Amino acid sequence: MTSVAGSKAQGTPETPHVPGTPQTPPPSEAPRTPETPGRSSARRAALTVTAWIRRHRTWTVLCLISAVGVGLTIAALLSPHGDGFPLSTRNAAPDGARAVAEILRSQGVDVRQTDNFPATMSALDDAAESSADDETGPTLLLYDRNGYLDQEQVQTLQRATDRLVVVTPRLNTLNALGSGIRPAGVVPAGVATLDPGCGMEDPASAGSVTAESGYLYTAPRVCYEPAGGPGGLYAGSEDRRLTVLGSTQILSNDLLDDHGNAALALRTLGASDQLVWYLPDISDVTAADTPQTLDDLAPPWVDFLGLWLAFIAVLAMLWRGRRLGPLVFEPLPVVVKAVETAEGRARLYHDAHAVDRAADNLRAGTLVRLAWLLRLGPEAESTAIVDAAARHVGRTTEETARVLEARPRTESELVRWAQQLETLEKEVTAR
Amino acid sequence: MAISGRFVLLALVGLVPVTLFPDWGTVLLVCLILCSVLLLDLSLAANLRKVTLDRALPGNVTLTSSTEAVLTIGNTGSRPLRAFVRDAWQPSAGAQNPRQRMDVPASERRRMKVLLKPARRGDLTSPHVTLRAFGPLRLAARQRTLPCPGSVRVLPPFHSRRHLPSKLRKLRELDGKAAVQIRGAGTEFDSLRDYVRGDDVRSIDWRATARRTAVVVRTWRPERDRRVVIMLDTSRTAAARIDDEPRLDTGIEAALLLAVLAERGGDRVDFFAFDRRTRGRAGSSSKGNLLGQLVQAMAPLDPELIELDWGQVPGQIRQISVHRSLVVLLTPLDSGVPEEGLLPMAAQLAQQHVVVVASVRDPMLGAMQKERTTAAQVFRAAAAERALLEREAVAIQLRHLGVEVVDAEPHQLPPALADAYIRLKAAGRL
Repeated sequence: MTSVAGSKAQGTPETPHVPGTPQTPPPSEAPRTPETPGRSSARRAALTVTAWIRRHRTWTVLCLISAVGVGLTIAALLSPHGDGFPLSTRNAAPDGARAVAEILRSQGVDVRQTDNFPATMSALDDAAESSADDETGPTLLLYDRNGYLDQEQVQTLQRATDRLVVVTPRLNTLNALGSGIRPAGVVPAGVATLDPGCGMEDPASAGSVTAESGYLYTAPRVCYEPAGGPGGLYAGSEDRRLTVLGSTQILSNDLLDDHGNAALALRTLGASDQLVWYLPDISDVTAADTPQTLDDLAPPWVDFLGLWLAFIAVLAMLWRGRRLGPLVFEPLPVVVKAVETAEGRARLYHDAHAVDRAADNLRAGTLVRLAWLLRLGPEAESTAIVDAAARHVGRTTEETARVLEARPRTESELVRWAQQLETLEKEVTAR
Repeated sequence: MAISGRFVLLALVGLVPVTLFPDWGTVLLVCLILCSVLLLDLSLAANLRKVTLDRALPGNVTLTSSTEAVLTIGNTGSRPLRAFVRDAWQPSAGAQNPRQRMDVPASERRRMKVLLKPARRGDLTSPHVTLRAFGPLRLAARQRTLPCPGSVRVLPPFHSRRHLPSKLRKLRELDGKAAVQIRGAGTEFDSLRDYVRGDDVRSIDWRATARRTAVVVRTWRPERDRRVVIMLDTSRTAAARIDDEPRLDTGIEAALLLAVLAERGGDRVDFFAFDRRTRGRAGSSSKGNLLGQLVQAMAPLDPELIELDWGQVPGQIRQISVHRSLVVLLTPLDSGVPEEGLLPMAAQLAQQHVVVVASVRDPMLGAMQKERTTAAQVFRAAAAERALLEREAVAIQLRHLGVEVVDAEPHQLPPALADAYIRLKAAGRL
């Protein structure tokens, strides 16, 4: 609707130009270079387009700028970019895990990061297909920081993979996994590193790892047990399909190169060619228990009501917005106050603190007026004017001369003196 | 095309089916009905290509009065025209009812009267007329803008006319017709008549008295058939506003009063507006009413943002009058460098003519010069003093050259210039 109204509105001023456009090539050339009708019409169309662009130059430029802006925005949105989630393979910050993912990729492991349950399942399926001929299935890393996944989802994941690595799982997740692994508190304060001290292959070859702010787990097979505490930082199930890693620091960009962190991480995660890196987010929460929204409660006609009201609003805009013909040109006269020049000069005096010059002007003006009032003629000397003025007002000559010949130094003196001059003039006029 | 408020209301009625049967099908159906009604109404609207426009404009109007511009709309089509018409007068034309509803049956014509109350002097135009032709249901309309240029000339108001009776009385007092005889009023010998008590004894003509038994006195009358040339400066300085009126308009008022007065005084008046070329010209030599010609010449004048070419002024005056004339220059005294323009030219003209320079003084300068309370005000007073002194210096130099200077505030300038003319005439200097 808008475009129709808009094109109609612009249509009227355009019409006089249209007959002019084909005349642009000189008429004498037309018979000399006979062209096929198709070419000439194409050329005419091109000329029309050029003329149109020339006429609507501002709009063309605006459209080009907005098109470039939209293109850049889309390109920026589509291009791969980092995020800020902890242990994300796209996060290059200290708490991210981009380093370990890049190392694994360079070692030939296909790392895919997912952030929701269906995508993870399809990624696992893809990975299982592409590595069908291998004996090892895909590895799944699960880091469910906020416990979004419910029991069923965790069990589905467990069934779908041969090797599941869970990083700092909560009690709910461990219950769902149900392989006898239980949380056992945190690593005691002051313990910086832990030694493997167990027979599992990966920890044993990795050596000691960072233990700060790690969680401990009890399990059938446990490594990195702190002295005296139950459970360890690295726990595995009996069937070796489940591994629990009690520390995010080991995988983080920040501490990956400390101690045996890198070795442990790479050995744990790089066992197979395919690695699915799953960081669940809020969309994985099952919606069964969410309360009813206003949208669910509203009757079905509410949607259509809003839609129709919006349509009416658009119609009303078209009704009120259509102008009755083009605007009319009004040649406006110049609006300059003649006194502007004097005011400009006053500001110059003020800015330059031209007290002397201002005083000279004021004195000259007063003298000229006094000479006229006392009928001394335009060529009268200033001493004569002072004498005459003194006699006229009945003061001594010195007194009058002190007023008329004073030289103020500061602005406050100037103000006081200017008022004295005015008073003197008033006295002369009054008598 | 355009839609009307009725169509929006109709769409609002469409809310009922849409909410009663909330379904996409209903929406589509209602949209279809709306669209078809719209198209039907649009197709039944009058064809705007078969509309003729004709203007009947008042030629002239003075600034303070109002006038009626008549636009005749003819419908040569077969369908009746139910139109909303806009006559696009420029804003300063003060059109009171430029948008009107006009119903023109097929093959008939109707008049649209637009009341104009102009707010500005000059040629005010209306470049086009826009018609919006509604269908029979008045839901939708076709719209078209037709070029139909029209213009009204707004004449200067001549406010100074109120000074005319008193100045004419003064002028008549100079004449022998009046009861009061002033010795030395005018220089032309008029007639001899018998002495009546109260006559000035100095005007007794002893020679004639000796020939007769009664005492005879001479009477004089002011000179007649002298030439008055008025030049109005339309250069950049005429654009400056003094007392919320451009210098140009004050100059026009003064020139009008002087011209009318001089014509009644029996002199020949010529007027020209000049900056780098002549912008307007009028005079008693051509046919017709002088005042009418003057206002016609003055109405379209606008200040041009260029410097006045003083070098051409004597030549222009020589073209108008080769004899000794009263040359009135309506130009500011404080325009840039008078030493280069005004002064030498005035000196040159004063050798042949009687020259009067009439200039507008800014009352704001006087007010600025008297305020002396704060430092900023004192500096303003000093600057105003400076401007006034410079004007005064130029005026003194001009008087030394034998040029009359009339320097007055905007409302005082026309009567002051008229007084100067009467004074010169009384002194027989024309």
